[in-house]
Amino acid sequence: MSQRTLRIPLAFGALFVLSVAAFIAGLLIGQGDLGDPRLRDTLLDLRLSRAAVAYLAGAAHAVGGVLVQGFFRNPLASPSILGTTAGASLGGQLAIMVFNLFLASTLAGYIVPEMFLSVGCMVGAAASLILLMAIVGRRRDLIFLLLTGFILSSLFLSVGSFLFALAQDSWELSRAVVAFSFGGVAGSGPRQVAFALPLVVSGVVVASLLSKRLDLLLSGEDEAQSLGVNVDDVRFMCILWTSVLTAGAVSVGGNVAFVGLVVPHALRPIVGVEHRFLVPASALAGGCFLVLCDIVSRLPQHEIPLGVVTGLVGAPVFLLLLVRARRRGTYG
Amino acid sequence: MAERPPTSEPCAVSVRGVHVTLRKHVALRDVTFEATYGTITAVLGPNGAGKTTLLKSMMGLLPYAGAIEIGGVELGALSYRQRAERLAYVPQRSALDAPLSVATVVGHGRYAHQTRLSLIPEERRTIERALAATDIADLAERSYLDLSDGEQRRVLVARALATGARVLLLDEPTASLDISHALALFRLLRRLTQDGMCVIIVLHDLNDALSFTDRAILLDRGLVVAQGATGEVIAEQPIRQVYGLEPSTEPRLCFRLPEP
Repeated sequence: MSQRTLRIPLAFGALFVLSVAAFIAGLLIGQGDLGDPRLRDTLLDLRLSRAAVAYLAGAAHAVGGVLVQGFFRNPLASPSILGTTAGASLGGQLAIMVFNLFLASTLAGYIVPEMFLSVGCMVGAAASLILLMAIVGRRRDLIFLLLTGFILSSLFLSVGSFLFALAQDSWELSRAVVAFSFGGVAGSGPRQVAFALPLVVSGVVVASLLSKRLDLLLSGEDEAQSLGVNVDDVRFMCILWTSVLTAGAVSVGGNVAFVGLVVPHALRPIVGVEHRFLVPASALAGGCFLVLCDIVSRLPQHEIPLGVVTGLVGAPVFLLLLVRARRRGTYG
Repeated sequence: MAERPPTSEPCAVSVRGVHVTLRKHVALRDVTFEATYGTITAVLGPNGAGKTTLLKSMMGLLPYAGAIEIGGVELGALSYRQRAERLAYVPQRSALDAPLSVATVVGHGRYAHQTRLSLIPEERRTIERALAATDIADLAERSYLDLSDGEQRRVLVARALATGARVLLLDEPTASLDISHALALFRLLRRLTQDGMCVIIVLHDLNDALSFTDRAILLDRGLVVAQGATGEVIAEQPIRQVYGLEPSTEPRLCFRLPEP
């Protein structure tokens, strides 16, 4: 058996074991005494939901990262860096405001607020990706891509702040917007798991089905098309399913950066660049990564926001990648 | 000379009155030619003549006005997969910059044929045949990025062969090849035409065109200046008109591959 064929099953075995270990750690570590029989069941329920939501959000961010990196043929692309996460977050804020101001009184019995939030996030993410692709087009200029993503991200965050300022007239509304904007998985329950699960699972399945086409796109759009790939279809599918995955992640975990960048980057040297391995491995590793980051976030007396922990890990990795890309100009 | 297919078979490629405009610049004007199965056709011309544009238009990679038919079917009526089953394209240089293995890159040529039910051993045999035909079987597990320019070029030819298409478009395939592999490539192309394929090849070396191709199209600033049998196209008048060169009759040392 060749080194490569042995390495991949070993990597998947390790990721399964790590996933189980991360879940167990997520159940055991945190504020509150599990030894107290009156609290144990409640604490375990809360921590289980929290770990499940973190795992789903991490998987979604990581696979979303693989999709945009594959489509843009750039390992520095990720939903958070390209403004997709900020777009989803802005869409979510808008959805909360529209629901609370106009629909809550009339549609409260028919629409579940979380569903409206997910749709808002999806529309925001899709709009940001379409805007990015319209601006960047077929250019492969890394700096242009990153700067456009940065500008879009800043724009969406500014509009989000403006919305927050508008929402301050209503205490309840501003509280809902703030809670969503800060993100995190602290208050997650089975309801959040139920909403994120279908979005994330369907996103991962579709991304796996796109694997072959994303592999061919590594040779560029012209060559992929000459080999039989309908590039416009792949572009549409990437926009749609990155939006679904980002919406699934942001609607339950808020604006968490860098997961989609760090996880696929760490996996490429182990499982290679072929998407049939990279997509499922990223889903497993992304889940583990965010569960572990969430555990770290609740270690101090006062909990740190989840995005701060991922940022502390992700920012140095991003800088390292940027320096390497400048030196080598190659993929991965 | 290659065997000609039965006359009832439609032209492999028929290009009629094709215009291509790129960023307000007219790259091809009223280009008309035909290529039949069993022949090698050279596309000649100086830099900027429109040779690559012509190949890309024939692949449907550039918008064009006019008519292009592949095997008697209008290009626009074919889906991307159907085009890839009929036409294979070897670019001047691949944009691939990911460390995929050579076997994987060649396997990409099978994409248009693959379904969820494709038999893996059959696919593997096709890939192995393409690797062997281009003399890169020993490189199968190497990373594409670790290869020399010439080796990478042979991988791209193998990928095109793996498609199983009967029309092969090659854009300067000998540009980075040593003389031995360049001659081997021409021998391979000749064998493919003897099996009934149609090869259209962009070449800069007029001597290679004279030695290894049956027909030629000479382009200059997007216009067809001459077309026909290669020996008639590479003649004093059109070459002087397009390149401003005088013919040379100096004897020169030539090389060929030993007989197999």
